[in-house]
Amino acid sequence: MKLINIISLWFLGITLAALLIGTIVIYEKLGSEIDFELGMELDRQIESYAQRIEQGAPVEKLQYDKLQIQELPMDWPTEELWLRDTLAYHDPMNRNETQLKASRSFKIDGKHYRISYYNLVVEADDITETIVLTMLTVFLAQLLFIGFFLWAISKKIFRPFHTSLEQLQQFSFQKNTPLKLTKSGVYEFDLLNTFLEKMSTKLLKDYRKIKEFSENLSHEIQTPSAVVRGKLELLMNESINEQQAALIQAAFDSNERIRRIVKSLAILAKLENEEFESPEPMDFSEGMQQMLSRLEEVIHMHDLHLKKDIQPGVILQIHPYVAEILIHNLLTNAIKHNVDGGEIDILMDESMLQIRNSGKSPSFDPKEMLGRFKKDGEHQDSVGLGLAIVNQICKNYGFTLRYTFDKPFHSIQVQFR
Amino acid sequence: MKILLVEDNPELTQNISNYLQDQGMRCESAVNLFDAQDKLLSYSYDCIILDLMLPDGNGLTLLELIKSKKMEVNVLIISAKGSLDDKLSGLDLGADDYLAKPFHLAELLARLKAIYRRTKMQGFDELVFNEITVVNSQLQVLVNEQILDLTKKEYDLLLFFLTNKDRVVGKNAIAHHLWGDYTDDLSNFDFVYQHVKNLRKKISAAGGRDYIRTVYGLGYKFDSAAL
Repeated sequence: MKLINIISLWFLGITLAALLIGTIVIYEKLGSEIDFELGMELDRQIESYAQRIEQGAPVEKLQYDKLQIQELPMDWPTEELWLRDTLAYHDPMNRNETQLKASRSFKIDGKHYRISYYNLVVEADDITETIVLTMLTVFLAQLLFIGFFLWAISKKIFRPFHTSLEQLQQFSFQKNTPLKLTKSGVYEFDLLNTFLEKMSTKLLKDYRKIKEFSENLSHEIQTPSAVVRGKLELLMNESINEQQAALIQAAFDSNERIRRIVKSLAILAKLENEEFESPEPMDFSEGMQQMLSRLEEVIHMHDLHLKKDIQPGVILQIHPYVAEILIHNLLTNAIKHNVDGGEIDILMDESMLQIRNSGKSPSFDPKEMLGRFKKDGEHQDSVGLGLAIVNQICKNYGFTLRYTFDKPFHSIQVQFR
Repeated sequence: MKILLVEDNPELTQNISNYLQDQGMRCESAVNLFDAQDKLLSYSYDCIILDLMLPDGNGLTLLELIKSKKMEVNVLIISAKGSLDDKLSGLDLGADDYLAKPFHLAELLARLKAIYRRTKMQGFDELVFNEITVVNSQLQVLVNEQILDLTKKEYDLLLFFLTNKDRVVGKNAIAHHLWGDYTDDLSNFDFVYQHVKNLRKKISAAGGRDYIRTVYGLGYKFDSAAL
């Protein structure tokens, strides 16, 4: 839901509540005010009649449908002004109508009169009708104003917000330029913008640090790893016993693992930062065939049956070194996770590459296959970055990667287009 | 063979010169470009082992010096930068071979010897050890004048063993020598074992002595003193 709609709805709701309360208050106040004023008026009328009786006007002559004069016993106390609603005959309308009746008694010349005077009241429903109508008009006016506000003014008010949003969406680590947001003059937006600018500067700084760190790390680790390897090779040539040989081998293997992990992570980092030069057209079929001939012996020694259907002359826009990594990782995976006497089927044409290999059921969800350091329990010696690298390459070049397992075949598909 | 090693890491320098001296080579070292140029201009060497990342510059400048002075010296580049571009520019500038760090010492020696054979002997040398003769030009191995029927891999393996005679050569080093980087994470040790077994069988079948012995689980050793 849009912010402006939320604000408008709340505003309308509050207005509606205020109008309702207003209606009730106005109705009450108006009613009682009218009654009070009428009472005063009736009181004045009664008094003037009382004066006229004092001046000797005949009581019987004075009476008409709005005026009643009753004689009360002398010993009753005089009555104060008393107002009440009553139904009385209303001549012009020729029917009984609600009327306000005011009465008061006077003792004049040894006689006690109760003078009652009627007058029409403004009817409650009339008041209600008027008030509701007024309020509805006000409410409709509000609606109209808010609609207009939504349509016209909100665009203007929220413009700085939208420009900032656009600039944010264009922010990229590769460009290495911190955000420069335009000043809007709206306090809150400017506050947000300054914060975003600060954050982007900091993010870029951290990103550069991390990048340098991983670059340095991969390069700096190579040398000590090479030293360790050399020392162990020299140690192999000392007079050692079997126990020491086992220790040397274990150290050697772990060192090799470190080397492989660092190498793979360096490749991944390079891919993620898109540091490989622009792709050039290369013969992917040729690359595939070359890698297969390199691995031919290994495939043969694992006693695997290779079936290949590779369409010649498939040209892809890809950096040759990256292509080599992609092909190599896919093929070595198909070899490594195979079973003795299993098979590898390679199918390739202009639109896609599919590599199927027999193998055991994966011990985890196939979707997790592309994550980092994901290893099948049996291959603890592998680094577990091969498919993560393949995945990153596919992302970089806009290929779609699909992995499926259909017992007993693992199948990986790379869709080029 | 007289070698100049240009490498700034003292440990690595020590590893390499130790190994090479054990194999009867003379190995001198320089820790930076300045040093290396000085030594190159004063003495003559058969081969330079050159690291590219040196404290006072890129090792490639040394290649340019060698080219301009028309020196008769081979260059083997060792570099931690395994990137393709480095490799290509190094070879373009006239280096004879390129070895990415980290490498096996046995591999380094094999490369040095191969460069030496290619350039100094134009490949027409024969490597003779007791009853075994390796004729490089023909890619042939004779045992007691009888030609062995070896595969390319077995031939490479025997040459690797002879180059690193009397040294323990690790399984990893052998696998790496035979299959290169491409089989890095495929467990190849069974194949190493297979190839070594076949090679031993073929040498024995021709009446040769069985020089190759296993060293616990670590690797193999071509033992010249084998009985």
